[in-house]
Amino acid sequence: MITSTIQPPPSDGDMVGLHARGPLLTAFGLAIGWLVASGVFSLIAAIQLHSAAFLADCEYLTHGRVRALAETSFVYGWAGGAGISAVVLILSRLGGNPLRAANWFGAGSVFWNLGIAAGLVGIATGDMTSFSLLQLPRYVQPLMVFASAAMGIAGLLAWSGRRRDGTFASPWYGVAGLVLLPWALTAAQVSLLWFPMRGVLQAVAAAWYTEAVIFLWLTPLSLACACYLAAKLVGRALPSYEAAPLAFWMLIVVGTWSAGRHLVGGPVPAWIPTMAVFSFSMLLYHFAVVGLNLRPVFGLSGSVGSALKFGVGSYLLYGAVAFLACFRGIALRTQFTHFASATEQLFLYGSVSMILFAALYFLVPQLLGRGWSSPALMSGHLAGATIGVVLSVVALGWAGISQGAVMLEPKTGFGEIASGVRPYLLVNTGAQLVLLASNLLLAVNFLRSLCSCCQGSGVSTALSEGSAS
Amino acid sequence: MKNGPLFLFGLLVSAVIAWSAIVLGAHGQLGGLTPWFDDGEGKSHPARPTGLAARGQLVYADLGCAAGHTQQVRRPGFGSDQERGWGDRQSVARDYIFQERPQIGSSRIGPDLANFGARKPQPPSAETLLALLHSGSDRHPAFPFLFETRKIEGESSARALKLSGKAAPSVGYEVVPSERAVTLVAYLLNLNSPYVYPEAKPLVRAVAKEEGKK
Repeated sequence: MITSTIQPPPSDGDMVGLHARGPLLTAFGLAIGWLVASGVFSLIAAIQLHSAAFLADCEYLTHGRVRALAETSFVYGWAGGAGISAVVLILSRLGGNPLRAANWFGAGSVFWNLGIAAGLVGIATGDMTSFSLLQLPRYVQPLMVFASAAMGIAGLLAWSGRRRDGTFASPWYGVAGLVLLPWALTAAQVSLLWFPMRGVLQAVAAAWYTEAVIFLWLTPLSLACACYLAAKLVGRALPSYEAAPLAFWMLIVVGTWSAGRHLVGGPVPAWIPTMAVFSFSMLLYHFAVVGLNLRPVFGLSGSVGSALKFGVGSYLLYGAVAFLACFRGIALRTQFTHFASATEQLFLYGSVSMILFAALYFLVPQLLGRGWSSPALMSGHLAGATIGVVLSVVALGWAGISQGAVMLEPKTGFGEIASGVRPYLLVNTGAQLVLLASNLLLAVNFLRSLCSCCQGSGVSTALSEGSAS
Repeated sequence: MKNGPLFLFGLLVSAVIAWSAIVLGAHGQLGGLTPWFDDGEGKSHPARPTGLAARGQLVYADLGCAAGHTQQVRRPGFGSDQERGWGDRQSVARDYIFQERPQIGSSRIGPDLANFGARKPQPPSAETLLALLHSGSDRHPAFPFLFETRKIEGESSARALKLSGKAAPSVGYEVVPSERAVTLVAYLLNLNSPYVYPEAKPLVRAVAKEEGKK
């Protein structure tokens, strides 16, 4: 039975090695910090959508810059930071060895976070690159390549030194996520920043990178966590596992061919959006198999189980919505509207973030050697995050659909369109507020757990490093 | 997937192939686009943006204006871009060849700006634009940091904005656009690509015919 290689839940908290706890906890703590920061920026951006004057007279917070700040701190700071750390930890657990090259991971993580901090200052002062998901200023971009590679090395070593080998999707996705980001980031930098291509080719290269962040980085990282958690929480073999390798390779091979879905009707060669429809229809196989493999999670209960359930469900829904929006007839109504933000929110928050929340709640106790200090804060956070995501995705999606419909009417002016979608945008602001508040609960819970752990057992000096974050 | 190196090799090859196909493929097709020389007019299109406008594009990019405005007109029959007066034809790749950082954008909170410098019935004037940038409107944020409010010493500056109402500076003061505001406005007014390239034509006709049949 191929799935027999899934290990039983680890009994001791020391499999990672004591030395690796400090860097990993620090990385998780900083990622949570970026999550809260991005919540503040998202809230400002959401308010500016219905009240254009809000903080716009502050040069550092124009709508364009706030959006870039929110996106960068969320994608690189939170999702990237927490995702890479969780995957490195999972790879080391699945490998059955203490984490090697923990120093590389620690150094990489420090530079990763320094790069983001410097990059955010750069964006606020006007150095953003103006390419979606690649907004970090050019002077920190090379640093991000090296930092992500350094963090990834620890995961790669854990995987290559594995004692057990078996068919289990989590390490494939994890390794793919760790390896492909430095490559994709380099390719994007060369074609967009160092030797910029001409004219609209920049838009094509930027769309490819957007797709790479989605399908070659964040999806593999979050699916690595999801597969691992599903096996642990469900406690038995996942169904239809024989199809998992093909689903994995489908994602890696055809995932980024659908870059053209961001350019439908644009001034680019027509085959690029057409190719997106074709390749995304092949990706449906990937989504179907992920759904089949992970369907036991839909029977889970409890906070972590519900978060995982929600994350996997959002991922499948994202696949369906994004596939539909590839088609020209539908893109005509959805592109350039808030619908695109809704889809992005569904993926980034609903899927990646919720899976990472589940991973954090599952993994951090193993690092601490004791549970989270407050289960109430944990369920409060997950409930708030769920409500916030649903509200904001529905509100933005609805706003986008109604906006798209009236935009087709040439007589309707932009004032009328704006007042038409204003109620939905107000709901979105409320949702962002809920998300920010609930993420604060996570931050408080994390800090309290660290403190109580330090006081309680005085485990190691490494932990105090973690709490300093 | 027991063979580690082979697995890693497979990952990289997959990513490289996809990148080459999409990015290098498009580059092979469009990388060599040259301006179009019109024999009748005796000049080539598109024109290079003026120096001021090229600098203005950097201001446009660093303020993140692309978060709310696109610069791409969709083809007739695909959206209402023509009817809204954003351009008579679809945008094509050749329109952007001289732009250092094309801002085609992906969100239309405000109107498309691809041909902003040639709005009908009449293009906006620099004064109106500067006033909008300074004071904002119900729907457009104000960017007062692009302007300097200073005490009038001697004669008031010729570049000073003529503001009235709430936006007007107090007596004895004037509002002067900074260099960034001036270049940004020059850029916006320079945005215009009226010339109908051969590649912009046929689709228009085909769509028109189809619509005629209906």
